Amino acid sequence: MNRSVAVAVAVARKDLTSEWRTRELVPALGQFVVLALVIANFGFQIDSQNAPVIAPGVLWLALVFAGLVAFGRAFAAEREQASLEAMLLTPAPAAAIFAGKAMAAALLLIACEAVLLPALALMFGTPLNVPLVAAVLIATVGMAALGCLFAAMVARVRSREVLLPLLTLPLWIPFIVAGGQAVQVAMGATGNYNQAVALLIDFDILFVVLTSLAARFVLDD
Amino acid sequence: MTRYTRLTGAAVLLMLVAGALIFFYAPEDFLQKEPQRIFYLHVSAAIAAFACFAVVLGASVAYLRTESPRADRLARAAALVGVVLTTVTLGMGMLYAKPIWGAFWTWDARLTSTLVLWIIYAGYLLLRRLAEPGRQAARFAAVVGIFGFVDVPIVYFSVTWWRTQHPGPVIVTNALPPEMLLTFLVTMACTLFLAGTLVAIRYQIETLMDEVPSPAPSHPVGAAPREPEPAR
Repeated sequence: MNRSVAVAVAVARKDLTSEWRTRELVPALGQFVVLALVIANFGFQIDSQNAPVIAPGVLWLALVFAGLVAFGRAFAAEREQASLEAMLLTPAPAAAIFAGKAMAAALLLIACEAVLLPALALMFGTPLNVPLVAAVLIATVGMAALGCLFAAMVARVRSREVLLPLLTLPLWIPFIVAGGQAVQVAMGATGNYNQAVALLIDFDILFVVLTSLAARFVLDD
Repeated sequence: MTRYTRLTGAAVLLMLVAGALIFFYAPEDFLQKEPQRIFYLHVSAAIAAFACFAVVLGASVAYLRTESPRADRLARAAALVGVVLTTVTLGMGMLYAKPIWGAFWTWDARLTSTLVLWIIYAGYLLLRRLAEPGRQAARFAAVVGIFGFVDVPIVYFSVTWWRTQHPGPVIVTNALPPEMLLTFLVTMACTLFLAGTLVAIRYQIETLMDEVPSPAPSHPVGAAPREPEPAR
């Protein structure tokens, strides 16, 4: 068990180090989410009246598509250099390698959220509070597990850019349903915040367990 | 006459019986008039689609445990038939909704979750076409088949918990009159038989396609060339 955790941390650290050295993904994702806000502005004709109503939807749209980009890149370097096979040749369990990849991808997405949430608060005039950040972070855990699983899968398939959103988005919908509710309440709508967050945690547990069981079948070849 | 011809004949005959009951035996609904007759096939197709996806789930789990090519073929066949039946459900539902609700589509919990179901399994079929045929496609598809089935009840319940303003369940809340109930039960049984027949035929097609030696695999950019699959 301890060894698996050590493997996962080592894999995550490798990915984060490589991102730190190249600084490829996070700046691009940051620009991407700001662009999403600009597009939302023109698409919705945002003013001070409708901004709080639209903001939760804009947040999830931007986050979901940024997530697709982030997870799509998670296995790109491994694929280009065929280094995943090398990792799988080591005695490390496949689930631990997968957990490491997912942790690194989740942290990159969190870095992108660190741009998105303040930008949204600044430009849409919505509150930036602890419940909002907590709901988004809790949703990120399960979304990262699922996103990374399908990213690992499509990395070896033709037309992966098309297939990743098609497979991932429908399975992210539970997180968007519960997370959407939680964010709406955190931004001032009426509703049950605790119930929504409890459900997000349930989904996290369910999908983290399921993906760790399935990781072996996706990574092994 | 092959087994499949006989099965198909029986399925067609049974569907004609169901059609006769729907149009000549079942009474006209007092409120919804003629469009209510869509209900019988609409709900039956939905139930048959769920049955197909349950088969996909079972076969996918079986494939991951045993790597049996038969389980994989069954999953392929049932997924295709399930997507067709879900399409029927959605299409008939839209035709039903227009005269009754006044719109083809509402973001009702049941409609939304059915649409998500359709998208998940359409993605499953697409993955089967794009993944390298053989063990890889079968494994990946099995994982999607399992996750897809887990997701559907979640989507269904998570939306019902909150969007309670959606129109009440379209399916029987009170007991149907006996003639309607009989018509519905017969239609459901016939539709399930039809679905089973389609899965059996598709399974046979998949078996034959597996036996045909596949043409030289084309190596997509980025994917390493692989050893040819061992003959089954």
